[in-house]
Amino acid sequence: MTTNGGFEPVFCTIVPPHVLDRLSQADDPVLAGPARRTLQRDAFERTQRRLTTVIGAPAVALPAGAEPGQPHRTVYDARHGTDLPGTKVRGEGDAPGKDATVNRAYAGLGATFELLLKAYGRDSIDGAGMPLDATVHYDRDYNNAFWNGEQMVFGDGDGEIFLDFTIPVDVIGHELAHGVTQHTANLTYFGQSGALNESVSDVFGSLIKQYTLGQTATEADWLIGAGLLAPRVTGVALRSMKAPGTAYDDDVLGKDPQPATMDDYVRTGRDNGGVHINSGIPNRAFHLFAVRLGGHAWERAGQIWYDVLTGGELEQDAQFTDFATLTVKAARERYGDGEELEAVRKAWEQVGVRTL
Amino acid sequence: MRIQVRRTGGFAGIERHAEVDTAGRPDAPEWHALAERAVADGRETPPIGVPDGFSYQITVDGKTVYASDPRLTDEQRKLISRVLKEGA
Repeated sequence: MTTNGGFEPVFCTIVPPHVLDRLSQADDPVLAGPARRTLQRDAFERTQRRLTTVIGAPAVALPAGAEPGQPHRTVYDARHGTDLPGTKVRGEGDAPGKDATVNRAYAGLGATFELLLKAYGRDSIDGAGMPLDATVHYDRDYNNAFWNGEQMVFGDGDGEIFLDFTIPVDVIGHELAHGVTQHTANLTYFGQSGALNESVSDVFGSLIKQYTLGQTATEADWLIGAGLLAPRVTGVALRSMKAPGTAYDDDVLGKDPQPATMDDYVRTGRDNGGVHINSGIPNRAFHLFAVRLGGHAWERAGQIWYDVLTGGELEQDAQFTDFATLTVKAARERYGDGEELEAVRKAWEQVGVRTL
Repeated sequence: MRIQVRRTGGFAGIERHAEVDTAGRPDAPEWHALAERAVADGRETPPIGVPDGFSYQITVDGKTVYASDPRLTDEQRKLISRVLKEGA
């Protein structure tokens, strides 16, 4: 096995949809043909995702007797297979069982639900009480967690590099925040809009951890995935919002590739155009903003980010500058011409992102 | 037969790649059958994945196909995990 934390020059493994759109209109059939076929193939999956966004996830109906403003959690066990969602092992209100992974997932779903409701008045992921579903023990030695458009999925890790993905509550919050983004701004998961999608998940994932621990911005560690790396790995977490690029430096994993400013923005076709890499830039902007304001980061700083995500003005293909500009606008609208406005402008300036 | 697997993306955003050369291996026929089926079900361009899902690039004797979690065929999943585990 070899790993490669480094980056090669632009090797475009992923063609952005807008390029395909242009190619499909080309006069040359050699160019247009494959592009059209690609667009057709992707259409089915895009339609599926769009439907989920527009009409809600399939399981959106509330269970009988359920009340709004209460979580509706279900944890499933894939029993090391890959069929989703798997076998139901814990429903809302059920007592904790023996499986710590199931209990952590259930608690993490609850913590996320609570922050959304208490801090932002949002009833679940879709704002309408959507049930929160999670599947644990997905596949064998699976080193990942993801949001499949309808639910969260967690692997156990291989024990060599990664431990159980339900361990850090910010990872659970991160996945659920992908659900919130899907139901609101629906940022396209590629390039800068994809990095913003990732960053929003890191921001709210970290805020859920801070809210759970009752920490202020200065007390928080601003790490994503602390406790997830196996003991033999040299590193503290997967990402650092405070100091992007410093979370790990390991002979197997390589070095944390995140940039901290636009000067070091990474251009790559891999990882959907570096969505987990360049998210370091808006992550750090949020950290700088929250620390400058002080107090609980989910209050004023988190509120402004939430306002931008859910306000309806953020375009699906938004670039860093677009997002930054909207945070300035949101700061003024919610808090007037005060310290919030100055702090948010300064934060973006420090990471080299222009606000208009 | 030279089988290469490259995995990108995922929550950690950490890339992995590995390859297996089946020449001289006693289990070569099994690898060949698995690789042929995995490639037959692959796509010529990378599919749009789900947030934090892994993206895969499978190259068999120079021909490359793409796939993404969680929509992998059983053969693709098996081939990917074997190559990443046993490959160099």
